[in-house]
Amino acid sequence: MPPGERANEAGFGLELMAQADALYAFARRLCRDSTLAEDLVQETFARALDAREQFTVGSNLKAWLFRILRNLFWDKKRRDRRNPVDPRAGDEDSEASSSDVWLRGDLELERLRRLVSEDIQAALERLTDDARLVVLLDLEGFSDVETAEIMSCALGTVKSRLARARAHLREALREYAQ
Amino acid sequence: MSNCEAARALLMGAVRGRLSATEQQQFDEHLRTCPACERLFARERELDRLFLARPPLVAPASLRAKLEAQLNPEPAAKPKAKPKSPWLRAAALGAPAIAVLLVALLWVQNRGSRDQLSAEAVNDHLRVLYASHPLEIENGGMHQVKPWFAGRLDFAPVVGFMGDEEFPLQGGAVGVFIDRKAATLVFKRRLHVITLFVFRAEGLHFPVHGDTKLGSISASSAHERGFNALLWNDADLGYALVSDLDATELAQLGQKLAAH
Repeated sequence: MPPGERANEAGFGLELMAQADALYAFARRLCRDSTLAEDLVQETFARALDAREQFTVGSNLKAWLFRILRNLFWDKKRRDRRNPVDPRAGDEDSEASSSDVWLRGDLELERLRRLVSEDIQAALERLTDDARLVVLLDLEGFSDVETAEIMSCALGTVKSRLARARAHLREALREYAQ
Repeated sequence: MSNCEAARALLMGAVRGRLSATEQQQFDEHLRTCPACERLFARERELDRLFLARPPLVAPASLRAKLEAQLNPEPAAKPKAKPKSPWLRAAALGAPAIAVLLVALLWVQNRGSRDQLSAEAVNDHLRVLYASHPLEIENGGMHQVKPWFAGRLDFAPVVGFMGDEEFPLQGGAVGVFIDRKAATLVFKRRLHVITLFVFRAEGLHFPVHGDTKLGSISASSAHERGFNALLWNDADLGYALVSDLDATELAQLGQKLAAH
């Protein structure tokens, strides 16, 4: 391998390693299983190394890696066919009602402040995979446009899915805080 | 904007700080007249704070080792040529060992001082994250924040960067770093909170050789409990920059801060 190419290879490897923690945290919170999360991150690295010619230098490496990981997660879910069905998924009316319930009284904000990390994780786990994905990507700092690219869906879908998911989260956390 | 529906369409953009100046103004005006939207906005921000205050999840060391191995597969071993003379052979064996020992000593010395400072910086950063009201002065630009420190510290924090769109300044407070008062400045990058501590460097041991160039300054980087930290000293002041932001972006802010 020529020296220039080797340097590029090393640089690409360093950039991948810089994303290892973020990828692991995302995978762990997405699939709720540390072994599976590790497998997903390793597989993401393997795919990224295989497909590195497809990556455009200067574009968003982090978004590209998250997209690979999300696709791997989805492939696995399809294989397992064990995706839990949330009865509230796609229930547009429930968003408004849960939001209205949430708006009752300032006491709710105080309760929210007393929640602990386990409550947050439990509330996240009550979401559907799609809803959890969009919440986690948003919290990771991706814009709605980037999230739409990672999830291969329309921008409007991301916005409505995020609003709905956060309304469900607030509703779930309101229950934990009582 | 008098319509709650329009305000709620802007809500997440406002929480994320992604609205245009006009949109932000319209949103703020609506919030002043609508307690329901104001409460919802406060709760969305609280929800974010809860998520961001969770302990960070970091890749286990065993996973990092496997990833490193994936990136650097073992090359096939090559036969090594042996020096012919016994003296040359001894020198060949001894010189690298001495060099390794010297490098190791320097490394241990550097790492010891870096680790102590980075552990303290991460602890203080966590205090900022967990505090209900971490900022004593809210963002009004560095021209407003810097004078606020006058009379509260026995030194003037030298910080040339006033915040920009990429790294907006959130505000400041007086904190403590190890055993001394520190100017605490909080910046943001997307959802990540970044804390800069500026303190008197006297009596603290900064690493002699940094690994990150911030303009003419050589800073030392550290990774601790899922956070990245940059440490440097300039004249008689010490600086610690900490966040869960990735190391590259943290260095970008470090460069802006060090360029004064």
